[in-house]
Amino acid sequence: MNDVLDVALRLLALLLAFLVLPLLVGQTEHKVMAHMQGRLGPMYAGGFHGWAQLVADGVKFAQKEDVVPNGADRRIFQLAPAVALLPYLLVLVAIPVGPAEGAVGQVVDAGIFFVLAVMGVGVLGSLMAGWASANKFSLLGGLRTAAQLMAYELPMLLTAASVAMAAGTVSLPGILEAFEWWWVPWQIVGGVVFFTAGLAELQRPPFDAPIADSEIIFGAYTEYTGLRFALFLLAEYAGIVILCGLTTVLFLGGWHGPFADGLGWLWTLLKTAVLAFVVIWLRVSYPRLREDQLQRFAWTCLIPLSLAQIALTGVVKVVIS
Amino acid sequence: MSPALHLAATGHGFLSPTGVEIAFLLVGIATLGAAVLTVTTKQLVHAALWLVVALGGIAVEYLLLTAEFIAWVQVLIYVGSVVVLLLFGLMLTKAPIGPSPDADSGNRPAALAVAVAAAGLLVWVVVDAFRTTWIELDKGVQGSTAASGESLFRHWVLPFEALSVLLLAALVGAIVLSRKTAEPRDAQSGKEKR
Amino acid sequence: MGIPGSGLAKGLAVTLRTMTRKSHTAQYPDAQPELPPRTRGVIGLFEENCTVCMLCARECPDWCIYIDSHKETVPPAAPGGRERSRNVLDRFAIDFALCMYCGICIEVCPFDALFWSPEFEYAEEDIRDLTHERDKLREWMWTVPAPPALDPRAEEPKEIGAARKAADKLAAAEAAQAAAAAEAAQAETERASDTSDGPNGTNTSDGPNGPNASDGPSAGSGTDGNGAAT
Repeated sequence: MNDVLDVALRLLALLLAFLVLPLLVGQTEHKVMAHMQGRLGPMYAGGFHGWAQLVADGVKFAQKEDVVPNGADRRIFQLAPAVALLPYLLVLVAIPVGPAEGAVGQVVDAGIFFVLAVMGVGVLGSLMAGWASANKFSLLGGLRTAAQLMAYELPMLLTAASVAMAAGTVSLPGILEAFEWWWVPWQIVGGVVFFTAGLAELQRPPFDAPIADSEIIFGAYTEYTGLRFALFLLAEYAGIVILCGLTTVLFLGGWHGPFADGLGWLWTLLKTAVLAFVVIWLRVSYPRLREDQLQRFAWTCLIPLSLAQIALTGVVKVVIS
Repeated sequence: MSPALHLAATGHGFLSPTGVEIAFLLVGIATLGAAVLTVTTKQLVHAALWLVVALGGIAVEYLLLTAEFIAWVQVLIYVGSVVVLLLFGLMLTKAPIGPSPDADSGNRPAALAVAVAAAGLLVWVVVDAFRTTWIELDKGVQGSTAASGESLFRHWVLPFEALSVLLLAALVGAIVLSRKTAEPRDAQSGKEKR
Repeated sequence: MGIPGSGLAKGLAVTLRTMTRKSHTAQYPDAQPELPPRTRGVIGLFEENCTVCMLCARECPDWCIYIDSHKETVPPAAPGGRERSRNVLDRFAIDFALCMYCGICIEVCPFDALFWSPEFEYAEEDIRDLTHERDKLREWMWTVPAPPALDPRAEEPKEIGAARKAADKLAAAEAAQAAAAAEAAQAETERASDTSDGPNGTNTSDGPNGPNASDGPSAGSGTDGNGAAT
């Protein structure tokens, strides 16, 4: 009975985090982006500086008609948002928050691989949406999504492998156990590559060619309305949370910091929040990369860098052992 | 009853299956169904998506056999990359929504023969290799990342390296194939030089 | 240039700096906008000045000004004078659905009856309600700001010069009249004391002064009109 209660509590906490953190990031994006552009952003919803804007948006989305285009492949079209969103919910299970035994949803032995594999599945949702919409813009968006995933999955994997090499384990809590402060400068190149590739996989600006609104309307999500569209948006913001959390755990030492025993979870959240801010910051600062620039950046810049990082990790590892 | 089967039956018993065994069987049936649908459906993209289900089912089977690492790599490589590549190709060729009438080829019997032969071979190899080996699920994880890595890089290094050489050859071949279009231009420039 | 990636860093720095500064959002319904003094919001009518000359209606490119009037005869100002006829404004309306805010009517008005007002919140739900009548136009007159101050050391406006001239003349005439009256009173007392003295001189000087004083205001208004026309 106690086990059941424990599992239920964990699931509840996860669900809560899954619903709250992306909204938090979304609201921060509203406000930070606005102020970086000399605006105020939402000011009315909820009374105080528009804090309830995203709640209002959610209500609005729920009221909208759920339209399925006539020529679309109905079932796949309707299934796509779930395929896009659920993997991120699953990934959240494996991310350790604090140093304690129970501070992770479920200890996954091959944590890194679990996380990367399941995140890759999420992109299938975009592909399904792009193909099933029976819309040439959606199809183009799907194509770009696939090409981007193909290019950026590799550097992500390689840099994650570099961390795994350094720690000698592929379990996320295990990596945090083994973490030392000097890993940050040691793995910094890998961290930057991982973060950048993750941004590209989430299709966040400046890597948002798959949903470039000035060229292909909204890419794979062009035909979506109402709640299904909201689910895609939620998936994007959940993806930001996951990516920032993962980067924190792999490269920034997760819960490590002063008073880690008591405040470890706070350190994780803080580092994640700073990274999420950087994600928003990058969106505001840089223009969208063209499709060929995207590919060239991945193959001629990120992959060599990540290979160099692996070589460095190997050399240092051999030297210190 | 063959002696091996008899041994297996006496060792653990088919007739009182545990929950994991039942789940294994059900997932296996689902995987098989998805695989059959993959090759019989007339809609190209649906075939690719059924392939996702089949590959995912296999990953779940790995999980049930406690080989967690293999399961996630299966998802990462096959679902995350190979199927995406497949879908990419299907989208590039503008796969239609709805059944494609020309999806059938005349090679069906040949394909069936090859498939049956391959399946028979695989089943025979696996059965012959493992016979009555039994995974004790209660005694902790036996297919953990550490165990897999150790056996891969201790006992099976040679096949591993051979595979990597094979992949390298495939890579080089792909590059050669993709550079083929450059040849006429070279010939032309050669002509111009003359 | 120099260090590779310095451009990227510069981009980040710009957005970060902007974030720390005050935003430029105009919170309009909560805070009224600060409009420049010559804002073309709406046209106000100072109907006391209107003489129904119809210049504005005729010059309007959109024909959006509607004026109705009738003539009234005014009894003569002085007994025995001629009756005068005067135009009385019945209706003055501007259709702001047609108006293109060119301001030509304001420019051509010779009597300063039309003004720009910065008032802009007069949207209506029906396009027909955008034709605003004289009472509404008169109301908008209250929102017309005072004219901007002249540049330092600028030439004095002609109207003020003319008005001052008239006022000076009037004052001079009054002073002269007062002086004459005083002189007359003095003469009276002198006559009372000494009747044989020559009072003729004072009488002759009084003669031209009387009509001059009564003419004063009319002459003043004449110059004022001249000043406005130029």
